[in-house]
Amino acid sequence: MRLIRGAMVGAVVRREAREIIRNRLLVFSIILPPVLLTASPILLIALGSHAAAALPADQMAQLIARHPSWSGLDSRQVVMAFAISQFLATFLILPAYIPLAIASYSIVGEKQTRSLEAVLSTPLRTSELLAGKAIAALVPGVLASWLAYATLLLLTAVLVAPELLPVITDGSWLAGVLVLGPAIGLISVEAGIIVSSRVNDPRVAQQIGGIVILPIVALIVLQGAGGFLVDGPTYLAGATVLLLIAVGGLRLAVALFGRETILTRWR
Amino acid sequence: MTQSTVTVPALLPGGEAVAVRAVGLGRRFGSQWALRGVDLELARGEVFGLLGPNGAGKTTTVRLLSALIAPSEGRASIDGFDVVADADAVRARIGVLTETPGLYERLTAVQNLEFFGRLHGLSPAVRQERMERLLRLFDLWDRRDGLVGTFSKGMKQKLAIARALLHEPSVLFLDEPTAALDPEAAFVVREAIAALKGQGRTIVLCTHNLDEAERLCDRIGFLRGTLLRLDSPARLRGLGGRAVLEVELAAAPPADLVERLRGRPEVQGVEVAGLTLEVSVADVPRATPGLVRALVEGGAAIVGVRARTASLEDVYFEVMGARPPTDGGPP
Repeated sequence: MRLIRGAMVGAVVRREAREIIRNRLLVFSIILPPVLLTASPILLIALGSHAAAALPADQMAQLIARHPSWSGLDSRQVVMAFAISQFLATFLILPAYIPLAIASYSIVGEKQTRSLEAVLSTPLRTSELLAGKAIAALVPGVLASWLAYATLLLLTAVLVAPELLPVITDGSWLAGVLVLGPAIGLISVEAGIIVSSRVNDPRVAQQIGGIVILPIVALIVLQGAGGFLVDGPTYLAGATVLLLIAVGGLRLAVALFGRETILTRWR
Repeated sequence: MTQSTVTVPALLPGGEAVAVRAVGLGRRFGSQWALRGVDLELARGEVFGLLGPNGAGKTTTVRLLSALIAPSEGRASIDGFDVVADADAVRARIGVLTETPGLYERLTAVQNLEFFGRLHGLSPAVRQERMERLLRLFDLWDRRDGLVGTFSKGMKQKLAIARALLHEPSVLFLDEPTAALDPEAAFVVREAIAALKGQGRTIVLCTHNLDEAERLCDRIGFLRGTLLRLDSPARLRGLGGRAVLEVELAAAPPADLVERLRGRPEVQGVEVAGLTLEVSVADVPRATPGLVRALVEGGAAIVGVRARTASLEDVYFEVMGARPPTDGGPP
C-alpha cells in the first residue's frame, strides 16, 4: 500500500491554492517581497555603477584573490560586484518567508474554522494532508525566489550591467538560489506547521516561525560587516545540514499534526 | 486491505446485519475516562439517537466509531471493518456531520463539495451529478458559486450535510443536524434522514432535540460516560415508570375501592385528585381493561378513561438523575 497517494495530495494542493488566491492579504505578502528584492539590486546596479568609489589597491587585491572570476572587472565594477553579492542572502529570505506565511494561514485557518475534523473523517491520510499543505506552501515561495532571480538575471544582462552577469551566476548564487533556498523553504514550512499547531493566530505563528529567518539576516549582516562572501560549496554544505534537520523536523511536525492531537488538543 | 476479525456475533438478535458494532468501547484522556464500557450494535438502515448532556461522551463516541481517535479499551467496527486496523476502509464508509459545519469559507459551495468528492475518489461525472442533486435538494443550487463565507448559518449547515452525503456512505454520523436551521430547512433535513433510512443507510444522530429523536429514531441511547439505557422510544417511555391511567369519575369513589386498586399486581400506585383517579401502571394497554372492569364492579361511575404515558423528556431526566428546578427563576 502506497504511503502517499498523488490524487489525494493533488486534491489538497488544489484546494489550498484556491484558498490562497482568495486571501488578498496573503497574496499581497507573497507578491510584494519578490518585487522589492528584485528591484533593490537592479536599482543599486543602475544607480550605483557610476557612483561607486574606487577601492584602495590592497583591498581590491584581497577581493579579487577571494573571487578570481572578478579579475576582469575594473575597480568600480568590483565594488558593485561585492555590493550586489550581498543580495544573494536576501534571495534566501523569500523561500523562508513566503512558505511560513502560507503554512501559518493554512493551518491556523483550519483551526479557526474547525474544518479539519470533516477532512480527517475521509480516507485522506495525515501524511497526504501534510504533504499537500507543505507543497502548497513551499512551491509559491521557491517559485517566487526563482522568478525574482530570473528577472534579476534578465534585467542585469539586457538593461543594466551585462558585465556583472557572471557575478550573479557563479556557483554561490546558483547553489544558494537553486539548492539552499528550497532547503530553507522546507525548514520554514516545518516551522510553520510546528508553531501553528500551538497557537491560534496566524500572525503570532509567523512571528514565532520568523526565527527561521534570523540566521539568514545574521548572514547578511556578517557578510556586510566582515567583508566576506559565502561561497558555493559552503551554501551546498548548509543545504545538506538543513535537509538533515528537516528530517527531524518532519518527524516532530507529523507528531504534532496527528489526527488525535488535532481533534482533542487543538483549540 | 485486510478486514479484521471481530469476535462478537455478526448478527443482531433479530437476524439483521450489523452496520455498527462496539464492544466494551472506552476512551481515556490522561487519567480521565470520557467513555467506558459501551456495547452497541446497530442494524443496517437503523436510525439511532444518542442523547446526553454536554460532556456526556457523544462526540467521543462518534469520533471513536468514525476512526478519528483510537479507543483506550474495547473495539468497534463499521460494516465489519475494525476502526483501528482498517481505519481507511472505515472512513470510506462513513459520512460525518461535525458539531460545527467546518467548511472552507473562501471556497464556493461547489468547490467545497468537489474537494470532498475528490478525497472520496468520486469520478468527475459522479461528482457533478451528486453535487447538483444534493445542492438542489437543500435549496442551494442557485448559490452554488457563492463563497461559503457569505452563507447564513442554516445554509452552511445544509451544505455540511450535503458534504456528508456526497459519497453515499453506508453509515452517517450527524451531530445536531437541525440545530441551526429554520423550521423549513429542518423539515428538509428530517425528510432527508427518513429517505436515507429507506435506502438502508444507518444513521447515528446526536441531538438535544428530544422530539426530533423520538420522531426519527428507531432506538435511542442515553449516554453519560457510558450507555445508561438503550431502547425504542416507545419502550423507553413505557419503561420510564411514569405511565398513568387517568380515570374521571362522576362521584367520589367508594372508600375501599382505592385500597383494592392499590392491591392489584399491575398497579404501581393510586392518587386521588378530586374526582380523578391517577393509577400508575407499567403497561397501559395490558392493564386498562382489567382496571376498568374492577372499577365498575367496585361501584365507580366512570365518565372517561385516558392514558398518559411518560414523555421522552421525563425518561431523560429520570435516566440522567435530575430535572433542573423550574421555580425561583425569572418568568
